[in-house]
Amino acid sequence: MNFIKGYLIPRLLQYFIVTFLGLSAIFFLPRLLPTDPVKQQLQQYQTFGVYIPPEQQEEMMRTLRQLYGLEGTLWEQYLDFWKRLLTGDFGPSFSRFPVSVSKVISQALPWTVGLLSLTTILSWIIAVIVGGIVGYYRKRWMEALDVVVMIIRPIPYYVMALICLILFAYVFPIFPLSGGIGIGQKLSFDLETILSIVKHGTLPALTLMIVGIAWQFQSMKLIVQIVKSEDHVWYAKTAGVTEKMIVRNHVIRNAMLPMITQLGLQFGGIFSGALITEMVFAYPGIGWILYDAIMKADYNLIMGVMCISTIAITTSILLLDLIYPLFDPRVRYR
Amino acid sequence: MKKVLVFVFLALIAVSAVMAQMLPPGIPREKTLILPFLFAPLPAPGNWNLWAGWRAQNCGLHQFVTEPLWTINPNPEEGGIINALAAEPPIYNEDFTKLTIKLRKGIYWSDGVEFTADDVVFTIKTVKDTSGLDYHGPMQDVKDVYALDKYTVVVELKRPNSRFHAYFVERWGALRPMPKHIFEKVEDVVSFDFNPPVSLGPYVLKDYDPAGYWVLWEKRKDWQRTVTGQLFGEPVPEYVLFINYGTPEKNTMAMLRHELDVLQGSAEQLITLLRMSKTTRSYRKTWPYIDPRDISTRGPGFNHMVYPYNIKDVRWALALSIDIVKLAISTYDGMVAMTPGLPLVVNKNFYEWYFKRLEPWLEELTLDLGNGETFKPWDPKAPWRLLEWAKKMYKVDIDPNSEEEVRLTLGYGWWKYAPDAAEKLLKKHGFYRDENGKWHLPNGDLWKITILRGPDPTDMANIIIEGIAEQWKEFGIEVVFNVSSAASTLAGEGRFEVVNTAHGGFAGEPWGFHPDLYRCFNAFRSEFVKPIGELTLGSALRWSDPRMDKIIEELEKTDWNDYEKVIELGVEGLKLEIEEMVAIPVFNCPITIVFDEYYWTNFPSPENDYARCDNFTTWPQLKYLLHMVKPAK
Repeated sequence: MNFIKGYLIPRLLQYFIVTFLGLSAIFFLPRLLPTDPVKQQLQQYQTFGVYIPPEQQEEMMRTLRQLYGLEGTLWEQYLDFWKRLLTGDFGPSFSRFPVSVSKVISQALPWTVGLLSLTTILSWIIAVIVGGIVGYYRKRWMEALDVVVMIIRPIPYYVMALICLILFAYVFPIFPLSGGIGIGQKLSFDLETILSIVKHGTLPALTLMIVGIAWQFQSMKLIVQIVKSEDHVWYAKTAGVTEKMIVRNHVIRNAMLPMITQLGLQFGGIFSGALITEMVFAYPGIGWILYDAIMKADYNLIMGVMCISTIAITTSILLLDLIYPLFDPRVRYR
Repeated sequence: MKKVLVFVFLALIAVSAVMAQMLPPGIPREKTLILPFLFAPLPAPGNWNLWAGWRAQNCGLHQFVTEPLWTINPNPEEGGIINALAAEPPIYNEDFTKLTIKLRKGIYWSDGVEFTADDVVFTIKTVKDTSGLDYHGPMQDVKDVYALDKYTVVVELKRPNSRFHAYFVERWGALRPMPKHIFEKVEDVVSFDFNPPVSLGPYVLKDYDPAGYWVLWEKRKDWQRTVTGQLFGEPVPEYVLFINYGTPEKNTMAMLRHELDVLQGSAEQLITLLRMSKTTRSYRKTWPYIDPRDISTRGPGFNHMVYPYNIKDVRWALALSIDIVKLAISTYDGMVAMTPGLPLVVNKNFYEWYFKRLEPWLEELTLDLGNGETFKPWDPKAPWRLLEWAKKMYKVDIDPNSEEEVRLTLGYGWWKYAPDAAEKLLKKHGFYRDENGKWHLPNGDLWKITILRGPDPTDMANIIIEGIAEQWKEFGIEVVFNVSSAASTLAGEGRFEVVNTAHGGFAGEPWGFHPDLYRCFNAFRSEFVKPIGELTLGSALRWSDPRMDKIIEELEKTDWNDYEKVIELGVEGLKLEIEEMVAIPVFNCPITIVFDEYYWTNFPSPENDYARCDNFTTWPQLKYLLHMVKPAK
């Protein structure tokens, strides 16, 4: 009962308040941009030489405002936003009119979630295991591995992606240059399609994992090194506890806590996409869609993506809070 | 260890050979022309209803699905307008209140239905009655539209309009006929996705990427029943794939892998591809490689409501402090064509129509520097100076004695680099330099120019404005940039001092192969000028002049086909814009196109000049060119 009153309920309240404020901010922030979505749309036409006589632009702007649902006061639009949000309807995308925001997101999100959740989990597991081992046992080959990671980590992601591309898509054209699936293939659950998705996803996944592992490996290694020198570990050693027990119960368990936090936060971030990966590999994910929406002041689409992202992040944090006591007894007893 | 490395290497080569195939089974590479899709991804993949908003139509949608009534002839030697679905040029009554359109016979939609006057009538009526469709505004001028017979359409207008037909002339975008037999059954035309699209062009949709990065087209079996078939014969490629591989490096790699037959990119990409592949070439065999005939100009524009840019002498001083040859070299390795006028396009038509008539006037153009001193700013020799520089750096095949060749390759000429004259113009208005050579405004403040620009560093307009900023700094003016993704909104509201301009950003782009400049001048009407903070629907530069208003009114009363009168008024408008230095146009947009001749040959070149090179990437006229390409093997 104490756990529910003192731990669960405050966190649930916090979750709802933060989510509400976050979602409200998502409504208001795009409207503070100096960019006018209607003007952006007209600009897009003009950029490509489509001639709209000035006399006719006014009519077009009026129509676009009506179609985009940008009429009415800010308060009316805000109320409308909550009404639509609660029914899962974000309205039409301005830049992709008349396609609905929900459809745009539903087409892009599975690609991003598929790629990022896989690479995030795999990178995390590999980094935690290898980083833990290297942090605890310092052998010669481990030193070499450490040096390799130290070289990889500062390489900007974009450069890393290009190196992989040049190597495996140009010098040895094993993987395709871009896309999520082969030309002419439709999404289905047959082996050929799955292989095509894997083939297209391998390079983006590889680059994300190289960078992800290097970054988390160093975190884990450093945490383990710190934990290893703490008093309770020395005490256990002097008390004759076996090394296996020390590693499992005293070092890894303590070192895991910040890594779990990191994983939880990374998971929330998955729903915002991986912009550079998607741009470099022309991968059909949500990151590019969000970027494009911001550039075109597509309020509805920005709101759609950001709402999902916000809910994902706040929910991840809530879940982290809820599972933390399982890993850390100090939280349980507080 | 060596053995292992050799094994890995061989294994990689073997795997590469197996996995390299990128087209789906049954689509032979040698029968497929692969072109770049420049504005990918598609905003609404699977929605081909280009009458209902932006659809990034240059993925084959406007090249193959649609056909306009009239279109710009892609052949730069012939120029002019092609009668496409229309059999004849537009026919107006005397006071321009009635337009008669005669249609071509024997044209069929790809589903076998004949194209007739009913399609045109239905399109105009539907667009007029449906808020949300493109061209809904312009069609409000229609009083009545009806079919006189199966192949004749009559449009009655509410007010005289000598250019109403221009909405149906395809340059890059036009109101094109929609298939009545499809759209008349649709409940909501705006949200209808028109998937799969029924085509009037020589190809039909085969497949598309749900993520919007590629679209595959297949040649129609009945290509003879299209405008293209009637006018130009059979297109050669069986399939055309428009694809965007992503970043510029990847498009370069794709061409090196022979997975892209045409590439439009930067000067660096062009040089890299020409060096790295034996099968690539560009428009010219030697420097400057590019095709200079784009119909848009780039350069800084001024907010004429902001001091000191509302002073003509200040604008001229800023122009005279630019060394055009140095700018061409620093920004594009000299591979650009310079143009002093807006919108004085560097191509053969504009050379004949406008530049030759302007040249004597340019020679005599005189500025008043103050204290009784005058200055003639025109520098006709700038292209030759650029040529001299290039000869030291590259192999060049331009004959310096051929005035036409030099001017049509490197531009007409520009303004003298005359910082002394610029200084006098500024001092005339009380500007002064401090001991460090920095310019101050007459009130003592340091003169700092803020330039509004978009965030894309690879945008040509941004590359050029950076070069100009450097030169203005050298001249002693402080320059800062306001880089914003909201640049177009800010410009429209007049929240800028100087803005870089692109694609008709000064006002509007011309037709290119037709001399009418109405669409360029119209945005400068006095009535469109709005106070700063209010969105203008005319030119963002907020310049107007009663003399320009008069020219625009005259053009409105002039028949589009009366070339002599149209050009005469165009020359007057250009003189006014140049004299007032409304903006500083510097270069024609260079078309940096590379062709890979591994699978296809006979792309345009100066010796085989059947089209502008960018007609192979983004322009709707592509459908008229595909009978020209030839298989390489």
